[in-house]
Amino acid sequence: MRHNRAALILLLVSGLSHAQDSVLSDRELIQQLAQQVKTLQERVDVLESRHQAEEVPDAGATHAPLGTAPPQAADGDGQSPSLMQSLHESHGIQWRGFGEADYKALDQRTPELGTYGFVPGSHGNFYTGDFDLLLTSRLSDKASVLSEIVFGEKDAQSFGVDLERLLFKYDFNDHLKFSVGRYHTGIGYYNTAFHSGSWLQTTADRPLIMEFADDGGVLPTQAVGLSITGTIPSGRLGLNYTAEYGSSDTIRPDLLTAKPEDENNGNHINVGLFARPDRFPGLQIGGSIYHDRISDFTLGPSVRISQTIINGHIVYVRHGIEFLNEGFLLRHAYEGSATYNMPAFYSQISKQVGHIRPFFRYQYINANQVGFLSDVALRHGPSFGARYDFNDFIALKAQFDHTIRKGQPDLNGLHLQLAFTF
Amino acid sequence: MPMNTKLILGCVAICLSALDGVSSALGQTGVVAVVVSEKNTANNLSIPELRKLFGGETHSWPGGQSVKLIVRAPGAHERVVLLKLLGMSESEYKRYWVAQVFRGEAQFEPVALFSNAMQREALGIFPGALALVEVQDVRPGMKIVKIDGLLPGKAGYVFN
Repeated sequence: MRHNRAALILLLVSGLSHAQDSVLSDRELIQQLAQQVKTLQERVDVLESRHQAEEVPDAGATHAPLGTAPPQAADGDGQSPSLMQSLHESHGIQWRGFGEADYKALDQRTPELGTYGFVPGSHGNFYTGDFDLLLTSRLSDKASVLSEIVFGEKDAQSFGVDLERLLFKYDFNDHLKFSVGRYHTGIGYYNTAFHSGSWLQTTADRPLIMEFADDGGVLPTQAVGLSITGTIPSGRLGLNYTAEYGSSDTIRPDLLTAKPEDENNGNHINVGLFARPDRFPGLQIGGSIYHDRISDFTLGPSVRISQTIINGHIVYVRHGIEFLNEGFLLRHAYEGSATYNMPAFYSQISKQVGHIRPFFRYQYINANQVGFLSDVALRHGPSFGARYDFNDFIALKAQFDHTIRKGQPDLNGLHLQLAFTF
Repeated sequence: MPMNTKLILGCVAICLSALDGVSSALGQTGVVAVVVSEKNTANNLSIPELRKLFGGETHSWPGGQSVKLIVRAPGAHERVVLLKLLGMSESEYKRYWVAQVFRGEAQFEPVALFSNAMQREALGIFPGALALVEVQDVRPGMKIVKIDGLLPGKAGYVFN
């Protein structure tokens, strides 16, 4: 009986262990099968991609999405040349284009400065705005070149070429990145975040205060000189700095007469500091101080002004939300005379909902009533509209503007823009 | 108990056992590891550090080696994890990298690869490479980096 019991226990134990082995082997088998299915799926993807590429031989080079390596055999042991080629840093010129086609209607009774090809005084007209070519090239692991060339539409469908940026860049490390050449000044956030690409902007145009100087803007938006940027070891605060020394040489047209006014800038210095705290991804808080000396030829050839521009900004861009807020104080101190403080700000909010991004912006600028910014004077008002992204390359924007001007009738505008990148 | 009832109960038990095995096997496919080249000295990264690396804000490893981002093409699970890490949709990710290139912060968008085998190959080529790979696809030559001190599969690991 004892032997029988012992035999029964042994049988049960061996049966259980066999069952456990069986369960384990089943799991392993399922894992292996899942792995095989995955590998096969990857191979199917690769073969389908190849098949599609073969179907359109002429377009083969452009068939894969931008930034996507051509498909390879998933289990190739050797390093395939095309993968190597795709992944290695290219020493050739990389380029990207930005274009736009615009229609603008403005209830302007007295013509003001027309920019980007818009005909001042017209009820509405089509124009092509800026055609922007960005060219970059890596010269070594740390050195690179960046250039941005803009073909801008002028009066009567004539076009001008502007070298917006030409930079030789050398990145020692994340804490010290050096560049020399023509750059967009790091005054605040917008100027260095969007540069000249309309496609990148949510709105159809730049805020008044951030308008390029050659389009009537009041800030020295471009300069030639030296720039260093980098991160500051600051733990979770995520501090970054910018320091620039250069020559702005701003020539801005008068908004009312279109007559160019040379500010005859001396060399400028601009320093900025901003934080991207780890705790709030997408948030940037910072500011900058710019200083140079300029001339006011409207008051006389020898009238010099000490110009200081103080910026503060709070920006949040994440989870489909774009919330941009920048405030400025332009301080013009005439030598041996008066000092004028001119405040300006804009606030812009938008939220991506599917393909549509509705936006609202309010902008304000209160420039000096005397001197070379008297054409700007007090202007403020809301803009609202929506951007529709057809895909990752094409966007249609519709924007309504209402601008209140001191001493002049309000302006109401409709701006439609098809912006694209390629 | 009638014979038919026993048979049905037996079948149900076998099915439940099989489903348990399948679900545990499939559950493992969701865990994503952060991997670097074996030559890389990095052993641990925080989530903000990882976000800055994959966002192209950090360009070099502490030793000075340039960071080489390797990402999966749209549709892959690792791509979904990457977008979740960055808090972006696919289109926002595309636009973000166009802006990064435009600002001179990057030479081009990280090259997207169609398979983890290609990612493995890339990790073998570039000592500064960084990638997201499903745990079951981790192979010799890939070094798993802890995230906030945790390895994949551990309780609290962010990409479980």
